[in-house]
Formats: sequence, C-alpha cells, structure tokens
Amino acid sequence: MNYKFIPVIPAKRLLAALARFILSHNLLILLCWLVLLPACQPSGETWARVQNAGILRVGLDPTYPPFENADGGQLEGYDVDLARTLAEEMGVEAEFVYFGYDGLYDALATRQVDVLLSALVIQPERTRDFAYSEPYFDVGQRLVVPAGSPVQNIDDLSGLSIAVELGAEGHVQATQLARRLPNLEIITFDTAGEALAGVANGESAAAIVDNIAALIHPDPNLHIISLPVTVEPFALVVRIDDEQLLRELNQALSRLEENGRLESIRQAWFNQ
Amino acid sequence: MKTQLAQLKTVRPGTGWRLFIIFAVFAALQPAPLLIVPGPQQQVETNYPGLGLHTRLTDEVEPWKIQRSLELVREMGAPWIVEFFPWAYYQGADRNIAWEHPDLVVNHAHAQGLQIIARLGLTPDWARPPDTALNYLDAAAYDAFAAFAAAFAARYQGKVQAIVVWNEPNLSFEWGYRQTTPADYVALLAAVYPAVKAANPDMLVLAGALAPTLEPAGSPWGLNDLEYLDQMYAAGAAAYFDGLAVHVYGLTFPPEAEPDPGVLNFRRVELMREVMTRHGDGDTKMYITETGWNDHPRWTRSVRPGQRIQYTMNALDHARQNWPYVEVLAIWAFRYPAPTRSYMDYFTLVTPEFIPKPLYHELQVYTGNSR
Repeated sequence: MNYKFIPVIPAKRLLAALARFILSHNLLILLCWLVLLPACQPSGETWARVQNAGILRVGLDPTYPPFENADGGQLEGYDVDLARTLAEEMGVEAEFVYFGYDGLYDALATRQVDVLLSALVIQPERTRDFAYSEPYFDVGQRLVVPAGSPVQNIDDLSGLSIAVELGAEGHVQATQLARRLPNLEIITFDTAGEALAGVANGESAAAIVDNIAALIHPDPNLHIISLPVTVEPFALVVRIDDEQLLRELNQALSRLEENGRLESIRQAWFNQ
Repeated sequence: MKTQLAQLKTVRPGTGWRLFIIFAVFAALQPAPLLIVPGPQQQVETNYPGLGLHTRLTDEVEPWKIQRSLELVREMGAPWIVEFFPWAYYQGADRNIAWEHPDLVVNHAHAQGLQIIARLGLTPDWARPPDTALNYLDAAAYDAFAAFAAAFAARYQGKVQAIVVWNEPNLSFEWGYRQTTPADYVALLAAVYPAVKAANPDMLVLAGALAPTLEPAGSPWGLNDLEYLDQMYAAGAAAYFDGLAVHVYGLTFPPEAEPDPGVLNFRRVELMREVMTRHGDGDTKMYITETGWNDHPRWTRSVRPGQRIQYTMNALDHARQNWPYVEVLAIWAFRYPAPTRSYMDYFTLVTPEFIPKPLYHELQVYTGNSR
C-alpha cells in the first residue's frame, strides 16, 4: 500500500491562499453571485399554491363590456373566456374576484388574487412591483376607411376629412395630425359608432377610433387599416416576484395563440 | 527597469493633461443651462373674466414646464389659477422658509397676467405630533400656520389675490385622519384671518374649500358640506373669511340637473348659497376652486368625452347667467406633471406632454381665443 505524503497546512495559511486565489482570479463577484443567487430565485410560491388548490384567483372589474360584464348577474366577456381557457390550459380552474377598477392593483399587491385579467393597459411605471404578460389585445387607435379606399395610412388623408368621437383620444390624434396635414378636415360625432357610420355613408374619408370601437361595429363596407395609429396593449398582471406563474401564463397564452383558441375567443366577442 | 519607470514618469503627467484638455473641451461644448425668465408682462384676453384653472405645479420642478403651463392657461383665456402651496414643503425646523419654488410659480403666473388663488396646507414635521399625517394640524400649531400664511401674504402682495385656508376640512382624510369638527376649523380661521390681514390687507382669505359629500354627522369619513357650513356659521366663522371656496363636481349629471341635498351635482352651489344667505352672509362671494366632469372610459362616475365638453360649456353658461355671487369658477385640473394612470388623468385639459385635449380647444374658442 502506497501512501502519498499529504502536507499539513495551517488553516490560516489555507484561508489566506484561498483569498489570494479568489482575488487574483476575479472570483469575488462570482462568489457573491453564488451566495446571493438563492435569494434572487423567482418565487414559485404562488404557482405552487395555484397548483395545489387547483384554483387560479383572477381579479377583475366586471363593468367593462365586452371584456368583462356582470350586469345581468352572469359574468361574461372576452377576459372571462380568456381566463377560463388559460386556466384550463394550465390544468386549473379560474375563480373570479370582483374589485373596483382603481382597487385592482391593491388587490393583487395584498395577495387577494393571483393575477389580474381586466383589460389593463401595460403601465411601465408599475413594473417595480408588478410584471405583465405578453400582450393579448391592443386597444390603441385605428384608422378605419371604406372598403377599397385608396387611403392606406394617415399620411394619405391630406385634403380629406376624418371622423372622430368628440373629445376622445381619436379626436386628440386627429388634432395633432391636422398640424401636419393642414388641409385635413375634422368632423366630430357624439360616439365612435356614429363616426364609423359617417365613414360608411360617405360623410368622411376615414375615422380614427379605438380598436374596441372598430371591432364592435363590424361593417362589410369598412376596412380597418392594420397599421395602428397608437398602440395600447392589454396584458395580464402578476406580482413582480411571481416569475414562475408569469412564465406559466405566457406559455399558456402562446399555446392558445398557436392552437387557435385565442382567435376563437376574439371572434366570439368581436365577430371578426 | 529604470528606463521603464522613467518612461512611466514622463507618460503619466502627459496623459493626465491630455485627459484634462479633452474634458475641458467637452465641458466647453456643453450647452449652457437654459435660463427661463418670466419674460415681458402678458395680459389674458378673455370674455369670461371668472374662468380659472386649477394647476398642479407643486411637484413640477422644471422652470420651462411651469412657464409653458401658465402660457397655455393664458392662451386658453383663463385669467385665474388655483395652485397649492404646501407649508410642509417650504418651512423647515429652523423656521426658515424656502421661497424658491413658490417664487418661480408666482412670478411666472404674474408675468402671464394671471391672478392667483393660493391654497395653503400640509403641516411640517416640527409643527405636528410624531406619527401623524402631513395634513394633521391641531390647535397647538394654528399660530405657526397663521404666521406662515402671513409671510406668504406679505411676500406676494399684488401677485396673489387670495388664499384658501386648508383644503376640504370637512373630510377626515384632509383633517389628518380625524373626525372633522367645524368648530376646530373656525378656530383655525380665527388665527389665520387677522394675521394675514395685518401682513397684507388686500389679500382675500377664503374659507373651505369644502368637499362635496353626503356623509352624515358622526361618520368617520367626513361631514356633509351643507351641514358643515351651517355649523361653521354657528361657530362664528363669518367674521373670519372674505369669500367661501367650494368644490362642486357634475359627476354623471348634466349641469342643469336640479339641486338636491341628497345628490352631489354641479348646482349644489345653490344649496351652499342658501346656507350663506340663511346666516345673513349674502354679500360674501363664492369661489368654485374645483369643478368639472371626467371622461374616463371605465370610472363609474364619468361621462363620455363629448358630454364632458358639452357639460363644461353649459356649466359656464349657467354660472354666468345665474350665479352673480360666484366670483371664480376653476376647472380641475389643467395638467399633471406625470400620468397618474387612473381615472384622475381624465379630469385634465392638457396631457403631461403638453398636448391639449379637445376640451382645451373648445374652451379657447369659448373665451374668444380661437386661432
């Protein structure tokens, strides 16, 4: 039996040598990173709870048709269908909890729900405390023209007229546009639906309305220009530390997009 | 080795000088900070001398934004602004007052030809008990607040026309999260009024501004504004204010909707007026320092954008034709420094990026300032 000689090194010298090695190899940062890594791990706590309970608690304000509405006692809407389908895709069941619009984020922060799905626009200012999913709908302004119109974007409107809902965001956009296109005439209507009717009956060459208005007033004589005038994406919201849940939601959204179920929900509510 | 060291010695100072020269050149290339000065004296052109806007310049730090806001107010044809000047922001524990920011706002507003109603409020740390809210003001600090109000009145003689003593004292939230009492508020008025008048006899002292609310007596949230005003008079308030500031919002009702003690709507002003006349104070003017409609698509107390415009115009007509006792009608709010991302954004006339909303343009036409 051969024994190799193992020198006995004092602990102090060993530690000093280790420290020199770490410093000389710039490993200090790596060491800190390894120590701190567990604390930075995404929390899977909420996702584990959702899985264990089999329930995804969804917060919403049911006063915003066609996205969520409970006026008739029956909760329904685009977001409601999306929440149920997402939950099904994730192997759990959606449970809806109602809040006022301005209380939604507080409800999420205080863990009364797992996710918000209530036609909420992504707000960069909130991303310190909350995380947003991939967008599932764009509510931004759209240019709507008669079918077959030569107008293909807002720059083609010079010398023409544009229909808008009085005072709405489309009106603001048109007013801004009129500073660039001096011959643009703005015609105001009381509602977005009337503005669209104004285009259909030839009163105006185009309308600027939000995407919801454009979709809920389907008219075969009108065409929605695909290039948006403005972009305002709706997304699901989770707490910033619920990265695992967010990942699951995004993956489920992606699968729904791929298998066509998201499109089916869109068609069901907007007759696309 | 010596040669290398010698080279280092000769290189290092040269490198330092070169870096210094590069830095100096770049520093010289930097544009000089833009000096924003109030500029020549302007005048508001308007056919509605009582129109005002509640600006939100308290948290606006960039002078050009303050100036641009006030230019837009003038160009819209509103001769009045209502602005908040928080005592807590200006007077530290050493009792010195930092006048820089209020000077900026007041001087720019004055240069634009605007008249100012200054709302004073919020208590500094040193003037309130520990662990109390910023809007907690008790009797021990009334004299200190009165001294600040007097200093403010003296400093801005000829530039600020009126001060509002506190804000919505009939709401517990605005009274330091305490149950609100009209008698306490009258004691505050009694401390402030003589101090301000001694400092600047021309300064108008406005009581209020009372919040529209239906809260009954004993409610932890506040007290009905009609009841509160009645109790203010009972506590002897009439001797301590020159005008009454009130807040009225139309909510979902048109401006013509009949006044009703059980409903909050625009014509609640008339009910407040009844309380004043009942107490023999019919000569005292009223100042509506907050009013308006909201067009948020989801807030349950909002109206459609077109309705908001129409209601606002009709409200101005109604006030001009029927309310000779209303001196100023100020719309909440002109612009916020940043989006609040809530229904509050839909009260404004101009976006944080200075893009005027259609209501701004309509008001501009209404005051005879259309371009």
